Amino acid sequence: MTLAAHTRAPAPAPAPRKRKGSQGRARRREAITLVMPSLIPILVLSVAPLVMGLALAFTDARLVRHPDYGFTGIDNFTRLAENGFFWDSLRIGLIWTVGVTVLQLAAAMGLALLLNSGLRLQGLTRVLALIPWAMPPVVVAIMWQMIYSANGGPLNAFLGSIGLPGDIDWLGDFTTALPAVIVVGVWVGMPQTTVTLLAGLQQIPQDLHEAASVDGAGAWRRFTAVTWPSLRPIIASITSLNFIWNFNSFSLVYVLTEGGPGGKTMVPVLFIYLEAFKNRNIGYAAAMGLVLVIIIVALLAIYLRSQFRDDNAGRGR
Amino acid sequence: MTVRALLRPAQYLALAAYILFLGFPLLWLISASVKSSGELNSLSVNLLPEQWHWDNYADALDRQGLIHSAGNSLVVALVSTALVIVIALPASYVLARLKGKVRAAGVGWILTSQVFPVVLVILPLFLILRTLGLADSLAGLTLVHTTYTLPFALWMLQGYVTAIPVDLEEAGAMDGAGRWTVLRRIVFPLLMPGIVATAMFSFVSSWNEFFFALVLLQSPENYTLPITLNMFIGGEGKVALGPLAAGAVLAAIPSIVFFTLLRRRLTSGLMAGAVKG
Amino acid sequence: MKSRRVVAAALAAATSLVLAACSGSGDDGPVTLKFQSLSDQPAAIAATNKIVDDWNTTHPDVQVEVVQAGWDGVYDKLITQLNAGSGPDIIHYEAAGVVPFARDGYLADLSSYLPDAKKADVPRGVLDSVTVDGELIAYPTELQSYVVFANKALLDKAGVAVPSGPTMTWDQLRDIAKATTRDGVYGLGWGLSSPTAAMVALAPGFGGKYFDGTGTDANVSIGQGEMALPRLVDGMAHQDNSILPVTLTQSGAKALAPFYAGQTAMTIQGSFQAANIAKDAPDGFDWIVLPPLAGPAGPAQAANPQTLSVNKDSDHVEEAAQFVDFFTSTENLAALNEADTLIPATTSARDALSAKLGGQNGWPQILASGEHLTSAPYLFVDKYAQWKDTVATPAYQKFLGGEIDANGLSNELTEGWKSINR
Repeated sequence: MTLAAHTRAPAPAPAPRKRKGSQGRARRREAITLVMPSLIPILVLSVAPLVMGLALAFTDARLVRHPDYGFTGIDNFTRLAENGFFWDSLRIGLIWTVGVTVLQLAAAMGLALLLNSGLRLQGLTRVLALIPWAMPPVVVAIMWQMIYSANGGPLNAFLGSIGLPGDIDWLGDFTTALPAVIVVGVWVGMPQTTVTLLAGLQQIPQDLHEAASVDGAGAWRRFTAVTWPSLRPIIASITSLNFIWNFNSFSLVYVLTEGGPGGKTMVPVLFIYLEAFKNRNIGYAAAMGLVLVIIIVALLAIYLRSQFRDDNAGRGR
Repeated sequence: MTVRALLRPAQYLALAAYILFLGFPLLWLISASVKSSGELNSLSVNLLPEQWHWDNYADALDRQGLIHSAGNSLVVALVSTALVIVIALPASYVLARLKGKVRAAGVGWILTSQVFPVVLVILPLFLILRTLGLADSLAGLTLVHTTYTLPFALWMLQGYVTAIPVDLEEAGAMDGAGRWTVLRRIVFPLLMPGIVATAMFSFVSSWNEFFFALVLLQSPENYTLPITLNMFIGGEGKVALGPLAAGAVLAAIPSIVFFTLLRRRLTSGLMAGAVKG
Repeated sequence: MKSRRVVAAALAAATSLVLAACSGSGDDGPVTLKFQSLSDQPAAIAATNKIVDDWNTTHPDVQVEVVQAGWDGVYDKLITQLNAGSGPDIIHYEAAGVVPFARDGYLADLSSYLPDAKKADVPRGVLDSVTVDGELIAYPTELQSYVVFANKALLDKAGVAVPSGPTMTWDQLRDIAKATTRDGVYGLGWGLSSPTAAMVALAPGFGGKYFDGTGTDANVSIGQGEMALPRLVDGMAHQDNSILPVTLTQSGAKALAPFYAGQTAMTIQGSFQAANIAKDAPDGFDWIVLPPLAGPAGPAQAANPQTLSVNKDSDHVEEAAQFVDFFTSTENLAALNEADTLIPATTSARDALSAKLGGQNGWPQILASGEHLTSAPYLFVDKYAQWKDTVATPAYQKFLGGEIDANGLSNELTEGWKSINR
């Protein structure tokens, strides 16, 4: 029984469950035993603070020595609806996030494919692909500030030496600041995306590729017919993870530009930080957090549902 | 014919571009780490320093207990990675294979806990840890890292599990193997690249993590590496660039060693073998 | 939701009960105080440790333990730890950062623990910057001011006479900058990537206050006094072309590189850069410090001293206050400021340092500028940090970049404040 005949499950998804209907309860008990160890630290250290944090969204809590706060219902949310700064930062945040996520995926996919092609220098490149992982955020920011320096940095020096303008103020100019920061975001995200995609590529059995080329498929056709469908679930999970991480990575943006120039890189998480920690309005900030969660989860749900729906459609083939 | 002839050189060209993009910043950092502060604060742009200034390394090691905090980071990262893998492996399998409410609750928690800004949970978390006597301790930080890396690990692993066709397991089951044997003999080996990827990611998350460490740790002997490196930045935005670069280079070495050791494991090759027979 | 509040309150109550039980039992041993110190460079750390060691030797029953923390991130640390009740006993920070914590109620009133002579030793303006609602919530230790460093060789080459009075005016600065802008050299390099701090700090010289009222009732007021300096910088940058354009988007420290390279004749920097300039400038670089800058309303600058405060929830407030008193003695402050290249906050320490270092390049002018530091309203405005980061900084950056004009700037600053406070 070779795998060539079974690129996808021959029967649609519901069938296996019907077969094992009677073993459903045993399966569930097994599932719970497998999941139990995770639950305790999660409940105590993650769910509990999360619930407490979210609950504050409905109060007028402040971070002071003798907090005296009470339930205020949806007051925070009505106030938020009129807060132009917040919605502006949300727009910037989404542009930044989508931009970085899409570019990360493209760049990492290219690299992963290259690393899977049996070229020389593979070992070196694999280690280099992980370099951004070896640096804490503070180091990444300082390093890229040095590179982008308008009058003392290697980027401008190089551009100048080959005849291109060598005095662009990358992080200080209004038009180049956001793209420059996006490039750094992509650099930072290369390792996890490349590693994930490479592992996914390695998981595709060689037989599938061989079968496809025996059938006369060229490189591109093999990519679209074999590689892409197998990678789909992995792409979906790493893209949604990247989306969340990028959305939350305000420390990188902040150190590089402090939200400037001209407020062009003021992302929502930074905005919430200011409201919670600087203004002490933790209740109002929690309301912002809750709104963010709803929006982001909704966006991701739409994205993932479309992925899984296509997956199931593919299964039926 | 011409397309194929061009393919290899084009691939090498692309590879070179990637190597430059990924490696140059590190090269520049190393270059900065051996320059004197006079040169770093001048307008000169040279890869090689005008004068090799090794003092930065001595300075970095002298300050603030860099090696000790690296040791702290290592312990926290290794232990939390081990915990994450041990917990996430079975749980992600359940998450991937089981549909329905369990999965929905799991996914819901995963997404919410990662999107909700950390600044809003840090205070309740601190209070909880202090009640448990775990504030200002590496054990507490390890638990926090484990808990907050779990969602990502679960999410990533369930993606890999989903990519393994269900009928492989059914084939095994039909051959008479029990569920546990199926998991052990068929699923986990296929999952190996995914497990390695998740382990690397978990290690790195913990190694580089800054905010929890900053807020939850109070005694300097508990500080982790990012905290120590951050202390090279002084008030008024003063940065001791040379020593910071030296410290960063030193700090990057363990990670690079770890990656070099693990890079072979990212190769599967097991899949083809397991299925052909 | 109410039940959550009950749970949180119960949790906090349980925690404080446990803590009270723990602290109650260990009172017969020596008292240990945690002193969170932010010194970031070896000389200052050594000076701090020496002072602490001296204290520990002479006070066997009250031992102080230094807990090093970094400047970058200390705010987040403090706000979490203070809110959770785990803050250090003695807190080292700066006025702008610590006043909000005082308004939250976390800092002890030091006035009853410090002798009157001690309070009189600090100039009125600086003392005001650490007084909240009549309470002295911190003792100032070190100050910095904005001063003008100049390349004497370039000034001589342009035939400019070096000002030598007790102060010099901004117009004089503008003239010197114009005169020295020639042959590819710019008169001034000023790192204004974070413009708000500089604008607000230098506004007192023009009579600018930026805010009326305090706390939640504060209101922004942008008038002539507040717009004078931005207009001046704009004039120098875009009409005189005497400011090296790239420096306007760089940090202060980065503006030193063109100064060393002779691309700018002068640079406005924090006074503490004197030590770095002495170390990093090329050999033979002839640098001087010009007299303190004075606007139409005088040479005043807003003070933001580094401070030592005592945690109100500390079990040993009195002992901690005594340590603060000891730490800020004339001799100790002089040593600390010398190590940090900063200006002592007390008059006596400043005189001592003046006597010791008066002959060294730049020190007389730097120490003299310390006399003109005064309190400023922004310290006591609740939403200042948010206004600064989300309204003011972007607005100033757009103005300096030529995207909006002076009226636009004034509008954005005022309207932005209103939106934040809606």
